[in-house]
Amino acid sequence: MKTKKKPEEISFEEYLRKLESIIQQLEGGQLTLDESVKLYEEGMSISKLCLEKLNKTKQKIEQLVVKGEEKYLLKPFSINKGENKVNEF
Amino acid sequence: MNNYTEPKIYTVSKINRYIKSLFESDYNLQNVWILGEISNFKLHSSGHMYFVLKDQESQIKGVMFRGSNLNLQFMPQDGMKVKVMGDIRVYERKGEYQLYAKKIVEAGKGELYLAFERLKEKLKAEGLFSEEFKKKLPLIPQRIAVITSPTGAAIRDILTISLRRFPNLSILVVPSLVQGTFAAQEIAQKIDFLNKYFSDLDFIIIGRGGGSLEELWAFNEEILARSIYNSKIPIVSAVGHETDFTISDFVADLRSPTPSAAAEMTIPDMNSLINNIDLLNSKLMRATKRNFELKMETLNSLTKSLQYQGPENKITQYYQYIDEFNGRLNSRIKHQIELFKERVKKDSQRLDSLSPWAVIERGYSICRKLPHLEIVKRLEQVEIGNEIEVIISDGRISGKVDKKEAVSS
Repeated sequence: MKTKKKPEEISFEEYLRKLESIIQQLEGGQLTLDESVKLYEEGMSISKLCLEKLNKTKQKIEQLVVKGEEKYLLKPFSINKGENKVNEF
Repeated sequence: MNNYTEPKIYTVSKINRYIKSLFESDYNLQNVWILGEISNFKLHSSGHMYFVLKDQESQIKGVMFRGSNLNLQFMPQDGMKVKVMGDIRVYERKGEYQLYAKKIVEAGKGELYLAFERLKEKLKAEGLFSEEFKKKLPLIPQRIAVITSPTGAAIRDILTISLRRFPNLSILVVPSLVQGTFAAQEIAQKIDFLNKYFSDLDFIIIGRGGGSLEELWAFNEEILARSIYNSKIPIVSAVGHETDFTISDFVADLRSPTPSAAAEMTIPDMNSLINNIDLLNSKLMRATKRNFELKMETLNSLTKSLQYQGPENKITQYYQYIDEFNGRLNSRIKHQIELFKERVKKDSQRLDSLSPWAVIERGYSICRKLPHLEIVKRLEQVEIGNEIEVIISDGRISGKVDKKEAVSS
């Protein structure tokens, strides 16, 4: 038995596949009115979750500085050349 | 004469075929590497290459067929020092032996190339390149790492393109040497390090811009290949320009021809994703609406057929029947009346013609005996002295009978 996953465990692709299968079911036209209303609501909430996934992460560019076997630092990194003074390397 | 034995005579083709078989049974002449200089190089329109390989003292004819030279990394030229690998066989038709080349390597690059080929074969045999071990990259990465030189063009290209395509991305830049003796080891260590402390990474891009085979060499080393293979985090190899293949390319979960291409291939375009979701949304709405319409249509047609079957319809049908019946009844009665009228008319005409008045008009008269007004038809009805009246067309005449006389017939 598959246990129900939490939204954050479901990948964007899974959501898209689910949304597509919902649309296919609806396009099949063999549903009761209740079922199609239910599927529509599910589809809408999935597409909302998809958009949320896209906006979940904030942009962040960091540089890894290894300080030994198990130690490291994270420093901000700039795309522009010359602004990243890295003494360790 | 009795000691003389007839010498065995061969035909030319037979002896050539025999020599050919000698060459083919000698394994020293198969897959042999020969160092020399190319001369008389010709690329035939068929795609086959013909050349002579020579050194100061000697030369051998060579041919490289189209099927083999497709993999050639460069175009051979006269005067070029090369190492050629192939079989030495006999061309029967001309009675010449020649080198059937399978590989040609520029002599200067030969050592690295050979090392590359050996390692490639070895790792391939071990299954490091197998598709089944390739990990899939997520469509929407959230956090990625790039192992490369922090000052090279590669990192700038990757960052610029990645963030343009998908702004909400967390990128970890992991500086490393990318060429020189220690580069392979350092990249391998960084991969291991990321696997240990950054297991949340969606994938790691390792790469550098294009360069010579020597400059790209780090990506052909076994230590790096094994680290890529062992990485739990998917690895994207983004080395050099399009024509350069490295061992890393073969082992990596995804190979891209350049660092820029790596970003294009792995980072989704936010706008097209949003468009895609929008599209799915409107499809969802259309499909749902269509479902509603279908139900509505079904309901309508059911209602219609219900009305058709229902009592209301029966009653109107009876009404109509009754109306029709009334109509038929009316016209039948009218017809009957017409018939009666017709008959009455005819009868009255006949009656007219039979009426006594019509006869009286013509001059006949009726004689009646008073007081009972019996019509007198025979003599015996009256006696002398009886009162009678005679009806004529415009009146009556009264009198008494004073004579009876029979008419002889």
